[in-house]
Amino acid sequence: MAYVLQQLLSKSAKAYPDKPAVWARGKSITYRELDERSNQLAHLLHQRGVRKGDRVGLFFPKSVESIISMLGVLKAGGVYVPLDPQAPADRVGYIIGNCGIRILITKSEKRAELSADVQGLLEACVLVEGEGNGSDLIEWSRLAEFPASHAPQVTMIETDLAYILYTSGSTGRPKGVMLTHQNALTFVEWCAEEFQVRSEDRLSNHAPLHFDLSVFDVYNTLEAGATVYLITEDLALFPTSLANFIDTQKITIWYSVPSALMLLLLHGRLTVEKLKSLRVILFAGEVFPMKYLRQLAEVSQQSALYNLYGPTETNVCTYYKVERERLASMDKLPIGIACANTETFSVTPEGRLAEKGEAGELYVRGPAVTYGYWADSEKTHKMVVPNHFQENFEEKMYRTGDIVTVGEDGNYYFQGRRDSMIKSRGYRIELGEIETALLNHPGVREAVVLAVPDEIIGNRIRAVVAPHVAGSLGVLELQQFCASRVPKYMIPELVDLYDELPKTSTGKIDRVKLASEPVGAGRS
Amino acid sequence: MIQSAEVKDRIREYVLEEFAKTKGIDQITDQEVLTKNGIIDSMGIFRLVAFLEETFNVRIGDEEITHDNLESVDAIERLVLAKSKK
Repeated sequence: MAYVLQQLLSKSAKAYPDKPAVWARGKSITYRELDERSNQLAHLLHQRGVRKGDRVGLFFPKSVESIISMLGVLKAGGVYVPLDPQAPADRVGYIIGNCGIRILITKSEKRAELSADVQGLLEACVLVEGEGNGSDLIEWSRLAEFPASHAPQVTMIETDLAYILYTSGSTGRPKGVMLTHQNALTFVEWCAEEFQVRSEDRLSNHAPLHFDLSVFDVYNTLEAGATVYLITEDLALFPTSLANFIDTQKITIWYSVPSALMLLLLHGRLTVEKLKSLRVILFAGEVFPMKYLRQLAEVSQQSALYNLYGPTETNVCTYYKVERERLASMDKLPIGIACANTETFSVTPEGRLAEKGEAGELYVRGPAVTYGYWADSEKTHKMVVPNHFQENFEEKMYRTGDIVTVGEDGNYYFQGRRDSMIKSRGYRIELGEIETALLNHPGVREAVVLAVPDEIIGNRIRAVVAPHVAGSLGVLELQQFCASRVPKYMIPELVDLYDELPKTSTGKIDRVKLASEPVGAGRS
Repeated sequence: MIQSAEVKDRIREYVLEEFAKTKGIDQITDQEVLTKNGIIDSMGIFRLVAFLEETFNVRIGDEEITHDNLESVDAIERLVLAKSKK
């Protein structure tokens, strides 16, 4: 039995050495090659001083080398940190500093985006593309100099960290969710059983690698000796191309956010014929509107459909297998019941277990739950709290911040958030992080960021800003200012300028009033 | 008949104003791959198509919304010119 993630690869490399493991942009590598390249990378990293627990960043667009890098870092005993290749340099620089990345796997072009200060934090960069100088810039071709047949000797256990995924933080900076090998394997083992992933399967990988949906795509592929097809931006943005890709590559398991499936439904010219190879369709990250789910069910009659739920801190903690016969009468999709080896409960504000039909916050305990946030014990203590339902020994549970009810059918139903976190295209967004970014602009006096519900992408982002000097700020200027601080999906799409923001009787900005005012209602 | 230079200018201006600038990118070349650096995202593609249909009075089918047709200002211009000749 595997207790660290890289054992999933070793097992499949022995059983299926010549089978393709990873496909991207028309290129694929076999299990043997993936095993050998990642061994070589692990030796290179080891030679460069990477030791157990050291963080190594991955900062380049999704490719076959991404998967080699993830495995190479793990085999060296390290912890990989996938960085959004489209994120602004300032944010990437913050993460590099925050978790102490000293070795970055990147390409010349992406490295050049980083400021001199951030480059100064790095002892070496391994370049998957571009020219090196041998000392601190190491070309990918140098992997050939290292042993391929085995990885360096490192003692590792399941509670060691495997990767850190950064998500939006309410205080203005992203926070690093720490995940152990055990956290990931608990989820992978449940998926392997529930979805019966087999070596003949062909999985798609739609989500970016810094997004936890990709954990299933990559590691359940390795677990089963299957093949994962990485969907790069040239495919992801074009629904008809994507639909043809599912057809020609005979994808059998699909996992994405609902908005990606909705675009396929609206513009992909989907037919029953095109989706005939798909036996499992998984979606997570946001609410799937019933109207579109019914359409999806129509064109994918041979597929099992699953709604998966869970924040990055627990990966997936509940699931609902769509009951096709209930679809016509259902008005809301449940998030279902707890996954194997995971316990969930709904807790009222008074701290007792919620009754059927009563709203409560969803709590999670079990081996899938994170230790917390990297180098942030304050935030960790807020979210990973003692389990007060048993008093005899210390144990932690995670507060999701999601308000749920239990329905008559025994399933959980998502009702909303306890705080101001929202979802857009499945991305978690703390509105406070965007507000902090705006307030850093010297010309901004007050700023509030609101979510505008959108049928397809979940929410659009609207900022309402009052400048210090009326008429001194432009919409574009504020969007550009945000662009240098937050990822593209967090830049306010709509910006309203007010002379002054409305206040409540206690002098706070009146968010409720602002949210009810039509877009563009600003007076200046 | 629309002039080629005019088509290209209007496409470039739209992409720059609507997508690139709001993301902190002040200039783009006509060959730059617009999808690579997230200049245009999945919803943006359909806003772009709506703009092209309205501005140049052409009809772009779902099957024509592909990377090859929309990857750069140059590619978009080729698509629009080919469509408006029909």
